[in-house]
Amino acid sequence: MNPYVLTILLSSLGLGTILTFASSHWLLAWMGLEINTLAIIPIMAQQSHPRAIEATTKYFLTQATAAAMILFASTTNAWLVGEWEIHQLSHPLATTTVMLALALKLGLAPVHFWLPEVLQGLELTTGLILSTWQKLAPFALMIQVAPTINSSLLIAMGLLSTLVGGWGGLNQTQLRKILAYSSIAHLGWMVLILQYAPSLTLLSLFLYIIMTSSAFLTLKTNNSLTINTLATSWTKSPTLAALTALVLLSLGGLPPLSGFMPKWLILQELTKQGLPLSATLAAMTALLSLYFYLRLCYAMTLTIYPNTLTATAPWRLNFTLITLPLSIITILALGLLPLTPAVTTLLTL
Amino acid sequence: MLKILIPTLMLFPTIWFSPAKWLWTTSIAQSLVIALASLSWLKWSSETGWSSSNLYLATDPLSTPLLVLTCWLLPLMVLASQNHISPEPLNRQRTYISLLVSLQMFLILAFGATEIIMFYIMFEATLLPTLIIITRWGNQTERLNAGTYFLFYTLAGSLPLLVALLLLQNDSGTLSMFTLQYTQPMHLLTWGNKLWWAACLLAFLVKMPVYGVHLWLPKAHVEAPIAGSMILAAVLLKLGGYGMMRMMVMLDPLTKELAYPFIVLALWGIIMTGSICLRQTDLKSLIAYSSVGHMGLVAGGILIQTPWGFTGAIILMIAHGLASSALFCLANTSYERTHSRTMLLARGMQMILPLMTTWWFVASLANLALPPLPNLMGELMIITSMFNWSHWTLLLTGLGTLITASYSLYLFLMTQRGPLPSHIIALEPTHTREHLLITLHLIPIILLILKPELMWGWCF
Amino acid sequence: MTPVHFSFTSAFILGLMGLAFHRTHLLSALLCLEGMMLSLFIALSLWALQMEAIGYSVAPMLLLAFSACEASAGLALLVATARTHGTDRLQSLNLLQC
Repeated sequence: MNPYVLTILLSSLGLGTILTFASSHWLLAWMGLEINTLAIIPIMAQQSHPRAIEATTKYFLTQATAAAMILFASTTNAWLVGEWEIHQLSHPLATTTVMLALALKLGLAPVHFWLPEVLQGLELTTGLILSTWQKLAPFALMIQVAPTINSSLLIAMGLLSTLVGGWGGLNQTQLRKILAYSSIAHLGWMVLILQYAPSLTLLSLFLYIIMTSSAFLTLKTNNSLTINTLATSWTKSPTLAALTALVLLSLGGLPPLSGFMPKWLILQELTKQGLPLSATLAAMTALLSLYFYLRLCYAMTLTIYPNTLTATAPWRLNFTLITLPLSIITILALGLLPLTPAVTTLLTL
Repeated sequence: MLKILIPTLMLFPTIWFSPAKWLWTTSIAQSLVIALASLSWLKWSSETGWSSSNLYLATDPLSTPLLVLTCWLLPLMVLASQNHISPEPLNRQRTYISLLVSLQMFLILAFGATEIIMFYIMFEATLLPTLIIITRWGNQTERLNAGTYFLFYTLAGSLPLLVALLLLQNDSGTLSMFTLQYTQPMHLLTWGNKLWWAACLLAFLVKMPVYGVHLWLPKAHVEAPIAGSMILAAVLLKLGGYGMMRMMVMLDPLTKELAYPFIVLALWGIIMTGSICLRQTDLKSLIAYSSVGHMGLVAGGILIQTPWGFTGAIILMIAHGLASSALFCLANTSYERTHSRTMLLARGMQMILPLMTTWWFVASLANLALPPLPNLMGELMIITSMFNWSHWTLLLTGLGTLITASYSLYLFLMTQRGPLPSHIIALEPTHTREHLLITLHLIPIILLILKPELMWGWCF
Repeated sequence: MTPVHFSFTSAFILGLMGLAFHRTHLLSALLCLEGMMLSLFIALSLWALQMEAIGYSVAPMLLLAFSACEASAGLALLVATARTHGTDRLQSLNLLQC
């Protein structure tokens, strides 16, 4: 892609999200979301092979529908209540529609079906953008409208997402689909706590972004898209292979790693709010996701495959460019748990 | 506490920077020095029951024996793994020892923690190195299955525990072991409270493991390399018993009525696992099932909630930790020579390795609780307190002891006595390293007879 | 609920239903999207008219501009799909299913 075009696209990608962050008016927020969608579509479709085009089309259809639904809900609110402010979305019909639309935009459980397929068609870098940066704007809106949403809807969606995210990933062999399902499960955790402690939602969103970036960058370094090719990755970079197992388990939320921090705090908040049953259910569904992370670890680090693989060995290209971000973000993805008090203090400020 | 933790931490630079030739020697030496230094915890001078160096880490008579056991096991694990790990590439050897050291660090933090939530986190943190040891350095393909079982049994048990702990924190406002025992006893009447009680204990019952949720343990033991088996039998199972003793203080009013099914299950487990042992062909699996049986006795002793029960439980945990670890080491020496865990294939070892047979004899006797050994003291105390609770338990515990004796005899006769099969006459002679390893296991057992109050726990 | 409100709501919901349940051609999906946007355009302009909010009279134009951009992106994707898949039937977009 022409570097000038790429610059324009990336900057308008940033512009769209920041416009949504900064807006207090629904129309402006909608415009930010639209700019964002329109900017990422050429990036997604830049390799014009059928799978990329198909993923782009599906992404476009869902995002355009979700954006239209958001605007529809706010218009309805304006007709019924007379307010365009994001904070003052008060009519229950409007809030529920907005929540569903944002769920569609993010890929939350009842409306998650597009996410694995879209992510599967994309290149890893674009997939990384899709599963990190593209989540920010909808979450900004969601946190602002959260106080007026029916809380049982949020909890049901959250639990369903963690369940579906764990269940769906169980029989996948494609890494991008597994990461998509892991994204659904993590979003479920974030939505679960949305109404009680929005700062925890932010914390777990940030940690999810850190961990998933680490996973995506590792896959990018290893040039691997299926579990098969993952199995040969230890010959390329043994240290990275060893650490990736830990990063994956951190995504799964095992204790000494930083992935446990959001889970712990979310469970604490849920029990404090008198929802121990939801907390237990969410914790148990996390085990489902842990199962496929564990399978990835087995394939990647804990076994050494015989030499006759069914996959062809990928090209050994040197990715000197992403080594530094990869190492920094891996360290963050592994070692933040002892800093929990500091992090929580930072987020409640 | 830090005087042990910092040298343990410093083991990592020792492992990664010492030259290849000295790798095993230095790591064993340093960890042995740490183990000897940890003996100073046993010198007891505190009036309050806690001897704390700071707010978050402290030792008390209950945790001290387990802490010392943990520290003692590390040099033994390194010693035991030397033979089968040293042919590997250097970096993998270093990774392996680092994993063992990190396991020890997590265990020290778990046993030394005064906040229950920190104990919980460290309890879970031990899963990770153990999982990697089992699945990366195990021998057969089934090790992956064993790792999955290990991880998911423990997590499925302990995630409800996390929620239960957080609920407790909301109710009482603290999770510190210093103050929790002085909080008001809670009024626990509803079904939710009963579920809460079960959630508090389930994680530890799975970790012990009590019969019914024990399936992960034989798998993990059979597939793990020797160091994994040792630490699993000696210390990781004891995390369950330790956690149960800590939680019992808080669970008081409900335990009286709710503990019955669990006690019955634990006692029934002794009989069942003993019977399984009697018809076991796999050496490591037999030792693993015997662990399940002994741990059932420990669980019964803890659930009965009498001072004698507690004391017996902690004594049996320490003694069983050393004895079963010794048995696993012995099984490993036989495995490294015959490359088979099947007992039928390696019989009559007395003819070739007579000194090993002596060790087998002593370790089997320790396992079946022969009179002067501390195993007997623990079992007797538990059996007595059970008998005091209900006379009928004597049927189960007595039968259990009988079965334990018979399968220990079976184990010994099967492996050591009888004619030597013709296919194993060309075995490697024993190494001094192996004799040292077993001696270091058996010396503490024998010495503990002389001063059992070191591991008497709270009754000291 | 005023009649105007009812009419644009039903128009929007019809468009959404068509998008969600009538999945044969990509072109029809784009048309449904366009219908949804137009119903929103009507809603916004009528709202500005009814409230006599002069400041909001530009909002429908902004909406129209963005929906035109969106429609053009959709048509571009239609062309791309036709080139890669040879058809615009939504049934043929099945390369990425599990």
